[in-house]
Amino acid sequence: MVIGLRFYFLRQTLLNIRRNLTVHILSLGTIVACLLILGAFLLLFGNVNNWLQQWGRALSMSVYLKDGTTAYQRDKVDSFIRSLPGAQIRRFISKEEAMDELKASLGEEAGFLEHLTHNPLPASYEVIFEDAQTEEIHPEKIRVQLEAFDGVEDVQHSRQWLKRIEGFLDIVRLLGYIIGGLLCLCVVFIITNTIKLTIYSRRDEIEILKLVGATDWFVRLPFLLEGTIHGILGGGMSILALFLGYLAFSSKEVYLIGPAPLEFVFLPVEYLILVFSLSIFLGVIGSFIAIGRFF
Amino acid sequence: MIQLFHLSKKFGSNIALNNIDLRICKGEFVFVTGPSGAGKTTLLRLIFGAEKPDTGHILINAINLNRIGRSNLDLLRRKIGFIFQDFKLLPNKTVFENVAIALEVTGLRPKVVRKKTHQILRLVGLAEKEKTCPLSLSGGEQQRVAIARAIVKEPLILLADEPTGNLDPDLTREIMALFKGIHQRGTTVVIATHSRELLEGTDCRTIMLNRGKICGETW
Repeated sequence: MVIGLRFYFLRQTLLNIRRNLTVHILSLGTIVACLLILGAFLLLFGNVNNWLQQWGRALSMSVYLKDGTTAYQRDKVDSFIRSLPGAQIRRFISKEEAMDELKASLGEEAGFLEHLTHNPLPASYEVIFEDAQTEEIHPEKIRVQLEAFDGVEDVQHSRQWLKRIEGFLDIVRLLGYIIGGLLCLCVVFIITNTIKLTIYSRRDEIEILKLVGATDWFVRLPFLLEGTIHGILGGGMSILALFLGYLAFSSKEVYLIGPAPLEFVFLPVEYLILVFSLSIFLGVIGSFIAIGRFF
Repeated sequence: MIQLFHLSKKFGSNIALNNIDLRICKGEFVFVTGPSGAGKTTLLRLIFGAEKPDTGHILINAINLNRIGRSNLDLLRRKIGFIFQDFKLLPNKTVFENVAIALEVTGLRPKVVRKKTHQILRLVGLAEKEKTCPLSLSGGEQQRVAIARAIVKEPLILLADEPTGNLDPDLTREIMALFKGIHQRGTTVVIATHSRELLEGTDCRTIMLNRGKICGETW
């Protein structure tokens, strides 16, 4: 008996889709677009988060010295840095080296630097901290300590930027929740209306089904299946489109922070399962709302 | 089998049925007759559970329709065949599909559905037209499809609303022969008709309705 019903429901669902094929294709296209936007947001947000985490792990600091700093003063700064846990002086950049590097980075446009009467760039230490996650390292405290030394003009560290970007990311995350929620509502709305159209086009058949003794669930199930199929196809196609888009963009190297290109990774499996499950869930919810208005 | 107690039904200010008491026993063949607007269709629809009475009770096999839940009513309808005046066939489905639908809702295996549908279409003489759509059929043939759909599930009760309304005398005799055959298999048959020709010479119980009241009965 159950096998017979399963065939019946599947056949009815496919028939429903075939009878309103144009409506279903348009609706599916919109669902895919909505889920694609959602997936693209997750992909970008996930990658930016990864990059920031990588950046946060590698704490770096630039210690700028005043012009005319004596060797003694420099030695004191040097020894203090070396005494810091995990700190390594990557290199000392003299005023001349700083100017050479600026000229090299400007390339052909470096000509205007020839007119400078003196070199305005400060000498600096480039410091990196290994295993920067440890609790012992407090970049702000180190900055204050270093700035108290004679001969130190300014200290900048990567966490200052990180905090600003993290604050910005919190806003982006909040916006993501709002936009994601609206997109989900949009998907539910589209599925509800598509199923309602199908129900409307089959109203005579539904009336007859009820007259020959069909239970409410017997009539409802093909529509629920229809919404679920929308969810499955919408989820699957949006993930596929997202992956193709990722393949197209991932071949380009992204330089955002530092000289090394950032790794652009695809959504992890858990996120893919989340998008797919969400799509099916929205499909079922959409069809439930649609059938709730008729039965 | 069918018991009606003090049954009344109004549509707006129009009284369709007024304090009807009726008892139809198992295996009876009953005609319900009367002029247009007498309440014949309303009576059948109330027995079928398609309408609810304003007052009174309907008992089908001792089940009170006033107290039955929606899902149980669906299950009860599987035991009642209804032939509608306007046939209520699905134009975009074949004759076979129109008949099979009554079995599919019961959850029978497709193989059994196919077998029973073929059998019933042979019985009503439509085996050759099972792949045809109803709109390509004559009135009589459409009527036979509606009958096939009502009897394919072997109902305990068969209700027919003006089943010969638009048919010529030959087709009427053909359809009535079908009803007699179904009745001989033990089904209780209730036919609503205003056709005098159909009632002439019949030895079946005939209930006469007028303005929503039973105004006579012959046996």
